[in-house]
Amino acid sequence: MEKEEIYERLNNVFRDVFDDEGIVVKPETTANDIEDWDSLEHINLIVAVEQEFGIKFNMNEVTTMKNVGEMVDIIISRMN
Amino acid sequence: MALTSLVFALFSIITVAIYFIVPKKIQWIVLLISSIIFLFYDNLNLETVVQALIILLSSYFCGRLIDKYKENSKKSKAFLILGIFLILTQLVYLKYTNLFLSTANHICNLFNIDYQFKFVQRNSLIGISYYSLIMIGYLVDIFRGVTEAQKNIFKCALFMSYFPILSSGPFIRYEDTKGELYGEHKFSYEFMCSGLVRILWGLFKILVISQRIGMFVDTVWADLNAYRAFFTIAAVLFFPLQLYTNFSGSIDIIMGISEFMGIRLPENFTVPFASSTMTEFWRNWHITLGAWLRDYIFYPLQKSDIMQKLNKKCKKIFGKKVGKKIPLYISMLIMWFAIGVWHGGAYTYIIGSGLLQFLFIFLEDVLEPISKRINNKLGINTEVFSYRLYKTIRTYLLFSFSMIFFRAPSVSGAINAIKSCFMLNNIGALLGRSNLSNLLNNIGLDVKDFIVLSGAIFILFIVEKLALKGNVRKKLFKQNIVFRWTVLYVLIFMIIIFGCYGAGYNPANFIYRQF
Repeated sequence: MEKEEIYERLNNVFRDVFDDEGIVVKPETTANDIEDWDSLEHINLIVAVEQEFGIKFNMNEVTTMKNVGEMVDIIISRMN
Repeated sequence: MALTSLVFALFSIITVAIYFIVPKKIQWIVLLISSIIFLFYDNLNLETVVQALIILLSSYFCGRLIDKYKENSKKSKAFLILGIFLILTQLVYLKYTNLFLSTANHICNLFNIDYQFKFVQRNSLIGISYYSLIMIGYLVDIFRGVTEAQKNIFKCALFMSYFPILSSGPFIRYEDTKGELYGEHKFSYEFMCSGLVRILWGLFKILVISQRIGMFVDTVWADLNAYRAFFTIAAVLFFPLQLYTNFSGSIDIIMGISEFMGIRLPENFTVPFASSTMTEFWRNWHITLGAWLRDYIFYPLQKSDIMQKLNKKCKKIFGKKVGKKIPLYISMLIMWFAIGVWHGGAYTYIIGSGLLQFLFIFLEDVLEPISKRINNKLGINTEVFSYRLYKTIRTYLLFSFSMIFFRAPSVSGAINAIKSCFMLNNIGALLGRSNLSNLLNNIGLDVKDFIVLSGAIFILFIVEKLALKGNVRKKLFKQNIVFRWTVLYVLIFMIIIFGCYGAGYNPANFIYRQF
């Protein structure tokens, strides 16, 4: 799967979880850039991403992931 | 060994001096020896040695075994569970036996059974609630592959018992701290100055502010029936400030000593009273405890199969928006209950620092859409200073209310205090007969205390306001030498002259009279 396609699908997940159609995620996007992305919503986001891509993050990744770019790297490594 | 005691000051000076004298390779051994002395200084007996060994040996060996069997998830999980079980069993036995006994007594009363369990006295080691959780985190991190197990048992012992954090935290994580604890540190003039200023600031907060507020708050709490209304409300409103200056002051001393040695630890407070919601408040208050519970309880719970199934069911029944919140609230309730329990084996802590905090955060979340609608309808501008101020004050008041339970000796004591806030009789007598001096004497302070306290709180306010915009010490060190030294001397003299050094020992008073 191309990176672009992953970002496209991630955009939909983010828009769905945070109820904001205007969200466009980039590799450097962090929790500070999206108003509702706090520690409570973080876990909902993780589960939604897992369901979208049919993968599982381990707890280490859940707690240490710094931005969307890192998330995408993990998704790619899991899907290959 | 209290952090503000002379013994601790001497102990720290000797430790730091030896730390920089010995070859860098064995610096960590100096820390280990100091930590062992600190751990058993007040409480050396067979019982406490066994307690320390139980935690050390279970976390060391289980950690090694989890690491060894990391390819075999069943075996490594079994050792993780064993390690957590051993550490938790001891913690529950030492800290929560009386909570179970008092619950059993309540149940006996409820069913009219004529039997009361006698409470037990447990002699537990200092900091056991801290390093029990720290070592559980260590085991979980090895299991999750965040870090590798420490092969040297003495280094593992240092991670468990690093002396500055034993009395008030912060919670450390092995992966983030191992380099700091076992690493080689050169003496740095810059670190020394920065560390010393932080220690002084901590002493100022504790000795000048916290202890002084304590004199007033303790006097009122000791006799709620006599004080009532205005006085109880004042004591309730000042208690969070007393707690904050005491707790964050201790953290400043801990961080300052560590910084002196070049050891960086995670921050535990970032100007919590500037928060405009309870959610934000808890992101800035006791940060490392919140992060611990989030990573080791809340996230695993939310990701568990049970919660995911519940999530799906709730979404089907209540719709997506409401449905996804229900499992979230359940996990939050469990996490807040755990926070309450961690604070101590009494219902007052479970209610005050657990369930009430959950209730406020829950209500904030549930009522947010309603409050947005009301604000829109009434045309209230929420982007202005006055609105933020209102929310900040509201957050402070909610926290103060919850802390009534935290401060009270029992749940009925807390309810008495709440009642006492609304008892207006007798207030005329207390207020009317006095001038300011008598009034202050009535509440355990004198005019000098009142002036010092007002000034000190004003200084705290300014420093906290500056801290919102960045590191205050860095700003201070950029100033000219005259200003820097003036600030330092003022701080030192304020601590010596205006510090409260406990009943019967008042050097502050003595020095003050000489002037």
